[in-house]
Amino acid sequence: MKRKVFICICIIALIGTGLCLANGQKEESADQVTLEYIYWGSPAEDAAVKQALAEFEAANPTIKVEPMYLPGDLDGSTYNAKMKALAVSNSLPDVGYFRPEEFGNYAENGYFLKLDELMARDGMDDSYLPQTWLKINNATYGAYTAAECQVMWYNRDVLKEAGVPTPPTDYKNAWSWDDFVTYLKMITIDSKGLHPDDAGFNPKDIARYGVSYDLWSTMYYPSVWSNGGDIIDTDGKTVHVDTPETIEAFQNLADLMNVHHVMPRMTGGTNVSPLTMLANGQLGFYVTGQWTLLDLGAMKELNYGVAALPILKESAQIYVSGVNVVFNATEHPEEAWTLQKWMMDPSKTLDLYTSGLWMPTKMSYYTDPEDLAKWLDNDVHPEGFKEAVVDSMAVSKNEPIMIKNINQIWGDYLNAAVESIWIGEKTAKQALTEAAEKIRKSGLLQGSY
Amino acid sequence: MSHSKKMGFNKKRQTLWGWILISPLCLGLTLWVAFPMGLSFFTSMTKWDMLGKAEFIGLKNYLIIFTQDELFLKSIRNTLYFTFLSLPLQLFIALAGALLLHSQVKGQRAFRTIFYLPSLIPIVVSSVMWLWLFNHQYGLINYFLNLLGFDRVQWIDSKHMVIPSLTIMNIWNVGNIIIIFLAGLQGIPNDLLEAVDIDGGRYWHKLRYVILPLLSPIILYNMIVNMIKCLQLFVEPYIMTNGGPVNSSLSFVLHIYNNAFKYGKMGTANAMAWVLFLLTMLISLVIFKTSSQWTYYEGDK
Repeated sequence: MKRKVFICICIIALIGTGLCLANGQKEESADQVTLEYIYWGSPAEDAAVKQALAEFEAANPTIKVEPMYLPGDLDGSTYNAKMKALAVSNSLPDVGYFRPEEFGNYAENGYFLKLDELMARDGMDDSYLPQTWLKINNATYGAYTAAECQVMWYNRDVLKEAGVPTPPTDYKNAWSWDDFVTYLKMITIDSKGLHPDDAGFNPKDIARYGVSYDLWSTMYYPSVWSNGGDIIDTDGKTVHVDTPETIEAFQNLADLMNVHHVMPRMTGGTNVSPLTMLANGQLGFYVTGQWTLLDLGAMKELNYGVAALPILKESAQIYVSGVNVVFNATEHPEEAWTLQKWMMDPSKTLDLYTSGLWMPTKMSYYTDPEDLAKWLDNDVHPEGFKEAVVDSMAVSKNEPIMIKNINQIWGDYLNAAVESIWIGEKTAKQALTEAAEKIRKSGLLQGSY
Repeated sequence: MSHSKKMGFNKKRQTLWGWILISPLCLGLTLWVAFPMGLSFFTSMTKWDMLGKAEFIGLKNYLIIFTQDELFLKSIRNTLYFTFLSLPLQLFIALAGALLLHSQVKGQRAFRTIFYLPSLIPIVVSSVMWLWLFNHQYGLINYFLNLLGFDRVQWIDSKHMVIPSLTIMNIWNVGNIIIIFLAGLQGIPNDLLEAVDIDGGRYWHKLRYVILPLLSPIILYNMIVNMIKCLQLFVEPYIMTNGGPVNSSLSFVLHIYNNAFKYGKMGTANAMAWVLFLLTMLISLVIFKTSSQWTYYEGDK
């Protein structure tokens, strides 16, 4: 008898809780709209984006934004997998970041809201950098989140100790590759303090390296272009990886590791972050994406500077960024567009730019000295950042994201080929010639979007 | 007198309850085993990127993976290498560990706990931990090797060492197998062991003629289960090496994952998954068929 009473009480309690929960969900008033914003990034980027979203909420009391954060991974495969799962299960968010290499495929399949009319209505076309808007079949389906590129940071104290002169910041008059290598050898020492060219230097026991290049597909382009080479033509049909210029560019990078011993081997996942090495004085230069400034700026004890990228034959730069899109599945396109505009407007989200995460896509922030000072004049952006980085965008080419299957071409063929160059198993000539043949036969060269 | 035509009340009720009680299982098997398998088989015969519509192409996917995809065969080779390197070592070390832990020593419980601990750590955590241990420059293993005067070894950064490295990590994690062996050891009747003592046998005789034969069904079980686990190697290469260097740790399942979620080739990926299924079944069958030669069940002659 007692037991039955107990069970009854339990059931009633359960139903009660259920009702309460159901009620709780309906509390939102009718004109209140909730948007989901999806994005990736480092923990610092996560905090910065959450801050921007909170400010958006404060300025638009009727719109609530739920952040949907995914930890960043370099090749974006986790983010892509998540996106695909969301797309198939019809539970895509409203607005957010999108992986650039998948943009064309999704846009063609109608997953994004067409932005042209909204842009024309709000006069958005002309006030942004021309590269910003991403078009498929003459319709705009997204915008680059920011303007981002490759940069070369250095540790001032390390360079001073090694006796290396202050590197040039003018992107047109940067160091030549040979000069660069000479200075890198001055920085590199083994645990006995010997340099790579000294007798008895032990390359297996290096205490301080000259440079670390981020080794992933996007980061190869500037070196390759600077040497006059290319990977795949923008038409998506011609392979250029086996041209002498491209081969030389890759061999140069590999030689930094295997011949000159001035760069740590950074393959596989077992690495100390180069940023940490830079901060610890174990690294002189670090060539990476400009967005790392967000993390770099937070390292208060580190005395860092920025240098122009070394020039192989001509100065080169890449325009790279995540994409921001409004998903077609959204029930609130107007509000989603408002949020999209907010995230693109430096006057609303200045912190994202002053903190070093992004460079603006809005034109006036490059041309108008007053606007330029707004995001560059601070402790985070080092001296010379404008000459070395911002100005170098003048020679930038877009990351070739519109080539069909570019992701798989890298994943199945080029990454493995390039890796075999890094570990010294093959020369760049062998590896890239083989890879080029395989790519031509693979059936993946299906043009571009 | 026909029983079948007229069921008694009790029997009817029994049948009803029977159905009710096994219905969750039936439902589970259909919804989460039969249906996905069917769907996967159907998908394996289509070209589908999950975004557009699936296009039926027959057995072409199977043809493609065997003729055009060179990484497919490589991933099979890597996986088989890992399996046949890990499995014997794992079983041997787990059995040795179990025999040691079975002996009556002080602190037996503490030892058992210590050996089981690695199994309690989530595999992602242990992967990241081993990533640091294996680190070429700053890893603990290389640090000690260096102290002892050896050269630093490129563990997971070298093409030749990456699979052995994953094997070492896998062996560290044999706690589960040890526990199962221990349970088996405790089931061995003491009188048989005493009989060996009376006959003047030594420990080796106990092991060879009593312990191993009585433990053989458990060895078989551990062998099959762990073989399947090894063939499905995924998390460690996914987290630690991403298949590298130069695809030398690209496991079968990682390749399937890449095709499905990275390149949006659901059809190809599903075709590969079926090949994996058949391969697993084949190896299991071989082990089962030969097992009658070396397993001993009480009651057998």
